Amino acid sequence: MNDQFSTHIYRKFNENLEGLRTNVMEMGGLVEKQVTDAIEAIVSGDSELGLRVAQDDYKVNAMEVQIDEECNRVLATMSPAAADLRLLITVIKTITDLERIGDEAERIGKLAAQLATEERPSGSYRELRSLGEHVIEMLHDSLDAFSRLDPVDAISVVEEDKLVDEEYDRISRECISLMMEDPRNIRRFMDVSWVARSLERIGDHATNISEYVIYLVKGKDIRHTETDQLRAQVIGNKD
Amino acid sequence: MPNTWSVTITRLVVALVAGALIGWWYGSVAAGLFAAAMGLLAWHLYHLYKLDRWLKTNDLEDFPTGLGIWPDTFARVSFFRGRARRRGKRLRALLKEFRLSASAFPDAGVILNSDNDLLYFNKAARELLGLKKKSDRGQRIENLIRVPAFLEYLRNGDFSEPGEFQLLPSLDVWVSCRIVPYGPEQRLVVLQDISRSKRLETMRRDFLANASHELRTPLTVITGYLDTLEGDEGLPDYMQHPLTEMNAQAARMRTLLEDLLRLSELESSELSSREERVDVAALTSAAKQSAKALEHCPDKVEVKVNSGIGILGVHSELQSVISNLVVNAVNHTERDGRIEIHWDADDEGGRLSVVDSGIGIDEDDIPRLTERFYRIDAGRSRDKGGTGLGLAIVKHALIRHEAELEIDSTPGIGSRFTCIFPPNRLA
Repeated sequence: MNDQFSTHIYRKFNENLEGLRTNVMEMGGLVEKQVTDAIEAIVSGDSELGLRVAQDDYKVNAMEVQIDEECNRVLATMSPAAADLRLLITVIKTITDLERIGDEAERIGKLAAQLATEERPSGSYRELRSLGEHVIEMLHDSLDAFSRLDPVDAISVVEEDKLVDEEYDRISRECISLMMEDPRNIRRFMDVSWVARSLERIGDHATNISEYVIYLVKGKDIRHTETDQLRAQVIGNKD
Repeated sequence: MPNTWSVTITRLVVALVAGALIGWWYGSVAAGLFAAAMGLLAWHLYHLYKLDRWLKTNDLEDFPTGLGIWPDTFARVSFFRGRARRRGKRLRALLKEFRLSASAFPDAGVILNSDNDLLYFNKAARELLGLKKKSDRGQRIENLIRVPAFLEYLRNGDFSEPGEFQLLPSLDVWVSCRIVPYGPEQRLVVLQDISRSKRLETMRRDFLANASHELRTPLTVITGYLDTLEGDEGLPDYMQHPLTEMNAQAARMRTLLEDLLRLSELESSELSSREERVDVAALTSAAKQSAKALEHCPDKVEVKVNSGIGILGVHSELQSVISNLVVNAVNHTERDGRIEIHWDADDEGGRLSVVDSGIGIDEDDIPRLTERFYRIDAGRSRDKGGTGLGLAIVKHALIRHEAELEIDSTPGIGSRFTCIFPPNRLA
């Protein structure tokens, strides 16, 4: 079954599953937009945008329900096997992570609205923007990896997660020191560290999606493999 | 050549007769015929074998020799093969030309089939959209370009206007997209990077808002002092007139700044919310009252509200619309003229019009009326305190309400300004 994926030319699954994949990608696109808008709201102090992001989360939830039902239908009527079944499982897991990312974006949107009312620091949340862009890229890459069924791209995302975690730690520490400097800052930097936390979580969910893709393509479960062994395991043996 | 066939048939007959004769000579005609027939068959089969073997090679020139009808057949096949090959070469050259020009094409071009599969994309598309040369062909475009605005535009089917959207994952890249259906099921998608012009637009808007805001403060100070001075009893008489003038001009500046700020707010392309229902009867009667309060207002101002249907939108913006239209009407109509305010609405839409019997507008001026600071008769409207921004404000407020402005006018007779609201903005 693996040779279905080993060639570079794009091969399609059957009609039903193709439609399902496109639906997941559409949900992914919506979530990408939500995260992007949420970060934009933080960086530009746009409370209206932040609230809109929070309001629109219902769309993400609706899509999860719809795709879930579709998956159940396919499972029941087609009784898929092997690669098709792995795809279905990957879809079900991915939409769960996407829905969680949507929730994090909602949280960030609400915090953006709150932060907009406070005085903006001179750095203008530069670090949050940087972390945000980093995380958006991870999400985008993991969804691309799913589209292309490319395990190599997926691995890069998994490796990125480490850097994101480090960036988050840095921001966290900086917030703490700023809060200690001046108690009036506490309110604001508590919010900032919540935003950073949400972003870091989004990074984790993107990593999960990449891991599902690797499982889908290679039939290997790498979820608890050490990072340095990852490349060897996935690319090394061409199965 | 028909001759070849007749020769062949003749040869066939001769061979069979010869066989029969020889057979007769040796005692069995049948055996002789049979042998001759078999010989002929073998001979033809041999040539067929030669043909088959030759066809398997790619050789064009070196076709086998033969006897009888076979050389002709070989030559013909060779000719057709040659022609097909030349045709293929020409097509490939044409295709290469096309590919080169598509590569040079500065905008991103993508060809889709009816399933939205990527049939082809040029170099600019690869760079702009991050597509991979070999592996992405055949993939559905929705799987790779997932921006909700793009998907909506693609699926909507209404390609009369280009679509604009942010290209994720970047926050800064904006793209303008046109889709052109051609052929039985193909579609051409052309994407242009408009990040620069978007940035300029934002900069301009921000500048406008900031400048207006900053100018307000010193203006308030000036106005404040002018007010105080004007009310001062000990003021020498000769200063009275200059002060009044200064106050009037300062007031004009304030109105101008307010209008500029209003305009920059309205220029954002977001549509205004549909949460609030605005009652048109109340809106128009308030407009009538403020019109009457104006100095140059004509005596006859009528309001005709023919429907109880209201507008979904923002009250303050709609108020700006009608107030600006009415003020324009007042400024351009004589004392003994007439102004009418109409409201009609049904399933097809709503029409809010301001009609006047004023001096009218030249046909040439009409298309430019809603431009900022555009004035037909600069001296006249400046005297009357106009800012030149009124219609620009009306236009943008209407855009935000998904409505259109229609202007009809006859010089010397009057003008009619109609705001047409779509059904989804009525309630």
